[in-house]
Amino acid sequence: MIHVQNREIVVPGQLIAEGDYQHMDGSFREGDKIYSAVVGLADVKEKRVRVIPLQGRYVPHVGDLVIGVVIDSHQSGWILDINSPYTANLFVSELVHRKVDLNREDISKFLSIGDVVLASVKEVDEYMRVLLETTERGMGRIKGGKLVEISPAKIPRVLGRKGSMLKVIESKTGCTLAVGQNGRIIIWGDDPKMVNLAVEAILMIEREAHISGLTDRVALMLEKEKSGGV
Amino acid sequence: MYEIISSVKRDYIIDLVKQGKRIDGRAIDQLREVAVELGPIKTANGSAKVKLGKTQVLVGVKLMHAEPFPDTPESGVLIVNAELLPLASPTFEPGPPRVEAIELARVVDRGIRESDAIDLDKLGIKPGEDVWSVFIDIDVLDHDGGLIDASALAAIAALSDVKPPEDEDWKLPGFPLSKRPVAVTVAKIDDRLVVDPCLDEERVMDARLTITTVEDGSICAMQKGGTGYFTREELEQAYDLTCAKAVELRAKIG
Amino acid sequence: MEKPEKLIVDGKRLDGRAPDELRPLKIKAGVLERADGSAYVELGNNKVFAAVYGPREMHPRHDQQPDSAVLRCRYSMAPFSVEDRKKPGPDRRSVEISKVTKEALEPVLFLELYPRSVIDVFIEVLQADAGTRTAGINAAAVALADAGVPMRDLVTSVAVGKVDGTIVLDLMKEEDQFGTTDMPVAVVPRKKVITLLQMDGHFTKEEFRQALDLAFRGCEKIYEVQRQALKEKYAIKEGE
Repeated sequence: MIHVQNREIVVPGQLIAEGDYQHMDGSFREGDKIYSAVVGLADVKEKRVRVIPLQGRYVPHVGDLVIGVVIDSHQSGWILDINSPYTANLFVSELVHRKVDLNREDISKFLSIGDVVLASVKEVDEYMRVLLETTERGMGRIKGGKLVEISPAKIPRVLGRKGSMLKVIESKTGCTLAVGQNGRIIIWGDDPKMVNLAVEAILMIEREAHISGLTDRVALMLEKEKSGGV
Repeated sequence: MYEIISSVKRDYIIDLVKQGKRIDGRAIDQLREVAVELGPIKTANGSAKVKLGKTQVLVGVKLMHAEPFPDTPESGVLIVNAELLPLASPTFEPGPPRVEAIELARVVDRGIRESDAIDLDKLGIKPGEDVWSVFIDIDVLDHDGGLIDASALAAIAALSDVKPPEDEDWKLPGFPLSKRPVAVTVAKIDDRLVVDPCLDEERVMDARLTITTVEDGSICAMQKGGTGYFTREELEQAYDLTCAKAVELRAKIG
Repeated sequence: MEKPEKLIVDGKRLDGRAPDELRPLKIKAGVLERADGSAYVELGNNKVFAAVYGPREMHPRHDQQPDSAVLRCRYSMAPFSVEDRKKPGPDRRSVEISKVTKEALEPVLFLELYPRSVIDVFIEVLQADAGTRTAGINAAAVALADAGVPMRDLVTSVAVGKVDGTIVLDLMKEEDQFGTTDMPVAVVPRKKVITLLQMDGHFTKEEFRQALDLAFRGCEKIYEVQRQALKEKYAIKEGE
């Protein structure tokens, strides 16, 4: 049986379900009882129990889109801070998509310390060594734009179901956003007022991620601010 | 351990400053929101907690018996100590005080000592043997830039909060605080001066200048920090900026 | 401080409490901006902050554990937190408390989920009034949960002791100094297991059992306040 309401805020050690359920992220099993491991929203669908965390550091998974900052370089590539307990490695061949003769070319012309890179996670091994790649269009070194950092746990809300929230922000502000799973977001826009409005929306989502009806509220806020500012 | 600021953030801050704007929407000459709480710590003789934007600093003042310095046998002793607590920032590690903590303590000390804010001559007990020592301990709890300004303000607020100790050797009616020196810092970013830099601005700035002034606008302490430089015009400009802001901060002590 | 003649008069303690009564307790989660997780605890006149950073990269690298996170704890008292100013820096007492605090918290953490990393817990006592290590553990547990570190349960701590022959809960300063026995305890409330136990003084076996019962009862009350503090951070405010 289920001991909590769906979307109820639960805390570590709180009993969520008892019996024939499958425990997923954010929860753990002891005997036939499933408990929450984190502060988050209880989510029970059919026989699957999980807790959506409201806080927590980013742990890289293969396929994640991430925004990294170059913090060091080595012989054949760079080390990036990806806002995680783990740094990530980007080999020069993954950045420029061709073979690079390390004896002839000086790779420092591609990236400097402090540069921002949009990439995806190619590989994570059991020692949490992370490899990045830049295969999609638009990936690689990023220039311009405004960088915002929020709790990685709230990123799914910034994207929304099937990207619905992101669509709302982009259409109402006319800005383009790159949303990293690791809590970093880049906003590009010609009108600084609209860029700041997009930031407002993101911070609002971070504050109210645990309250339902968020997409509508954000859309409402953006409409109000837009017409108010005209 | 130090944090690298991303080029995107750095460019963004500098672009804004070129337009006379700042990353948190403030004006060039605007302080962050300031809150001063007097007397939160009862085990101290005086205490104050200052919030400057997101920065939080707590100062406790303890009055203790001590031996005087040999050349000032009847004067009290002033000691300022600062701790950049590891709670306050991912870059603060536990251990002996790092250079930033020592600089912070010495700059706050200078403001109080050089302005004669405390009449140390009134703090003697038994000449040559026993005097009151004033320990000012600064605890930085949350770091978002402006540590010197917040600490100096908290120190003077804590001093103004001091209740005399229950000790038969205390003969004064109150605590002899005659002035309230206030420190204000400006940062130089792309040849413009911004008041009360937040942490992101501190990471991008070329240099900073802290000026401590008292009620009549005279300067009692200054400290330049960072690896850039200031022109003479910039120094004059800095004085005008900081003096006006010091008045605002002083008013927060009540 | 002079030793009072009696610590319990007419069944009441010096501050008016019954033997099984806690001091006023207040807990707030998420009180610091920079830290990944944080908490503030007031227990009687104790004022304690806890901050958590992590999981984060562990330096030096040779201290990394290949299959688990490392937990580091630092308990520290501010110079102005006690009547006689304490010189800044760790003393032997703080070092010991840091160790037993780490060992009290570690059993509930899923450290194996974050190999090669470190979780740092920093406890700072700003005002001390007996029971600072227990207040520190209560704050640290909330701060860990606030940081999103996965845990099997919170950890709850309280001190019990014996004064004037009576077993009491949550010792105050005079009881700590002049009482017979002081026993700080930390438990994992759900499983009712003990992760911190220290004692100095005198207990018969029966007194020890009673004291432990009292400690568990006290921890139940504190546990509720800890959980509320975490939930309160996300409470929907009026008008929303």
